[in-house]
Amino acid sequence: MPGEHEAPAKPAATVETLHAVRRLAAVNPEAAAAGLAPGQALAEARAICPELDVLDADPGADRAALARLAAWAERYTPLAAPDVPDGLVLDITGCEHLFGGERGLAADLSARLIRAGLEHRLAVAGTRGAAWALARAATARGTCIHAAPGAERAELSPLPVALLRLDARLVAGLRRLGLRSIGELARQPRGELTARFGPTPVQRLDQAHGAAEEAIAWPRAPEPWEARRAFAEPIGTADDLTRALAALAAPLCARLEAAERGAHRFTAIFLRVDGARPAIAIGTSLPGRDAPHIVKLLAAKLGEIDPGFGIDAAILTAEDIAPHRPPQRRLDDGREAATTLAATIDGLANRIGPDHIWRTEPYESHVPERAVRRVPPMTATRPAWEYDPSAERPIRLLRRPEPVEATALVPDEPPILFRWRGALHRVRAASGPERIAAEWWRRTMDDSRPETDLVRDYYRVEDTEGARFWLFRAGLEGAPRWFLHGLFG
Amino acid sequence: MREQMMNISPIPAALRAQLAALQPPSGHGVWPFGAPAVDACLPGGGLPLGVLHEVSAMGIDVEAGASGAGFLACLVGAIARGREVFWIGPAVADLHPPGLLTYGLDPGRLVMVETRDDDASLAAMEAVLRAGGAGAVVGEVGRLGRVAARRLQLACLKHGTTGFVLRRWPHGRKPMAEEPIAAVTRWEIAPAPTAIIAGTPGPARWRVRLVHARGGFEGGWIMQAREGDHDGPHPLRMVAGLAAAAAAPDAGRTRSAS
Repeated sequence: MPGEHEAPAKPAATVETLHAVRRLAAVNPEAAAAGLAPGQALAEARAICPELDVLDADPGADRAALARLAAWAERYTPLAAPDVPDGLVLDITGCEHLFGGERGLAADLSARLIRAGLEHRLAVAGTRGAAWALARAATARGTCIHAAPGAERAELSPLPVALLRLDARLVAGLRRLGLRSIGELARQPRGELTARFGPTPVQRLDQAHGAAEEAIAWPRAPEPWEARRAFAEPIGTADDLTRALAALAAPLCARLEAAERGAHRFTAIFLRVDGARPAIAIGTSLPGRDAPHIVKLLAAKLGEIDPGFGIDAAILTAEDIAPHRPPQRRLDDGREAATTLAATIDGLANRIGPDHIWRTEPYESHVPERAVRRVPPMTATRPAWEYDPSAERPIRLLRRPEPVEATALVPDEPPILFRWRGALHRVRAASGPERIAAEWWRRTMDDSRPETDLVRDYYRVEDTEGARFWLFRAGLEGAPRWFLHGLFG
Repeated sequence: MREQMMNISPIPAALRAQLAALQPPSGHGVWPFGAPAVDACLPGGGLPLGVLHEVSAMGIDVEAGASGAGFLACLVGAIARGREVFWIGPAVADLHPPGLLTYGLDPGRLVMVETRDDDASLAAMEAVLRAGGAGAVVGEVGRLGRVAARRLQLACLKHGTTGFVLRRWPHGRKPMAEEPIAAVTRWEIAPAPTAIIAGTPGPARWRVRLVHARGGFEGGWIMQAREGDHDGPHPLRMVAGLAAAAAAPDAGRTRSAS
């Protein structure tokens, strides 16, 4: 995979610098035919094949490409991982029947890789170690090798020991003892092998034979709450995608219901023919498993999906799973109303974003800006507000107080006229002051602004038109500065 | 009073019946203001429920939307009867919940929806009205086209949820020319000088003008918010009719030209 570039008819190779020597990292078929092989020094390669095209190897890009390929391979199974530097490992247990068995899956994968211009060798076996060895032992490119169940031991036996994923040092050591094939290695006493070479050769042997477990680092943890579907023909129209969502949501929601669970988040991933994976996600304020509702919310976002040349598989996952009891039917429709409300709020939240829809609850603070806190719109209990006639509050509170030019007869009294946003207001009546001090425990000490500077004296004033404003005078010392902070209804 | 007006009306009874048939059947009842002078101007003897109403602000309030919000808080607090109230608009973040308590609207049952622009507000209003289940929906909207208003009106009728459009223009934007009215009623709200008690402002008062009521009459009054806790029957009290200069010649009672 790495190092193979777009169909050059000429011999080509990528080059890396190892110990100050430029060596070939990968070669294309033409170069291999000319007798070049990875690991050769560049100078030697040029001597053999003067017309060689040389490119710098980019291991980072190779790894990224491999990761993309692994993500694409999730079309076959959720367990697909890159096997650095040049392989993919897929656990197809339980998935192969969707593609007509192991052979069908391998043929489909192979055909798609060939169409994408990727040279590959493919093996299906009972263990990762065996599949690894068989794929790399294959001589012809693109071959599919199927180890019959239980036949791994026999098939591996003639292969060289290097195919047990052993490093070069170990392979050289084994070769000095005359152990060249896996079969020969398997016949040696295990204790002596371990004493001489450490645990690795025996462990690799057991893993290849299926006698030892092997943990594979899948890029995604096995995700139980998901449904997937591959389509016979690529689809692309909104109607088809909606139908696909409905077909995915029904079994997933049935499973959630059987487990008395609901999810707060549903994600639909569409696997496009060209390998892209556009996805849409929705959230629900109550744990949800109502398939039509979820499909409706997802369908509203289908506009974001570019089907490209078609979508040939789709995955629906449920995340943030929470226990959710089956709805209890009651004679009054209280619960029904709550469900309707939750559905309405979900619809809005998914359209305009969950941060833009909220309820407010009182917060223990006498600073007006901080006396209100946002909470999610669907909470178990309604926030409890109490009317306090002694502290009348404006209906509109400006985000930040705006300075006004005010004229007061006596510094300690409310102004008789003030100018706000260009309009002059004559004060007809006023009440106050209500003194509100800053919450000193929230501040860091700052000598330049004394505590008295943060005291605000609030007045409710009414102008001659009847409009009512919430003004405050800042600070206790110096020239009074006036601000407008809110408007009464 | 109403009968007298009908007698002098030039519209014959048959045509009146035809016109009534054209009205969308609300059938969700009315909410009386409790003052005969006001209720007589409204079709059915009160504010029709399950339809769309429009409230526009006057003067300085066009921008701040404070008086209109106060007046609406009184109305929706009473109409919602314990159900959720949705308050939708691009600038709802400045709505201060403790201030709503003054007008008898419990902020705990208020769901705030912050939208990007007028179109998003109208779409959100329509979604909530169509879903049903809400006590009332208030949308702060600048431009309200005839088609948009008609859509909202139909959405209101679906479940009988009452919708209010509070016309509000952000700071620095000029209100556009008046569009034709598509709502069932249109109110113009301006602040009015309060009753001053010992030099301090009294409970909020509004100069309320009913400039359009489908099947009703125009009118103008001074209304005052009830003070304190709103266990009483009505959050609003009519203080006086508007002076002749402020409304129509016969103390605010002419046939609405719709």
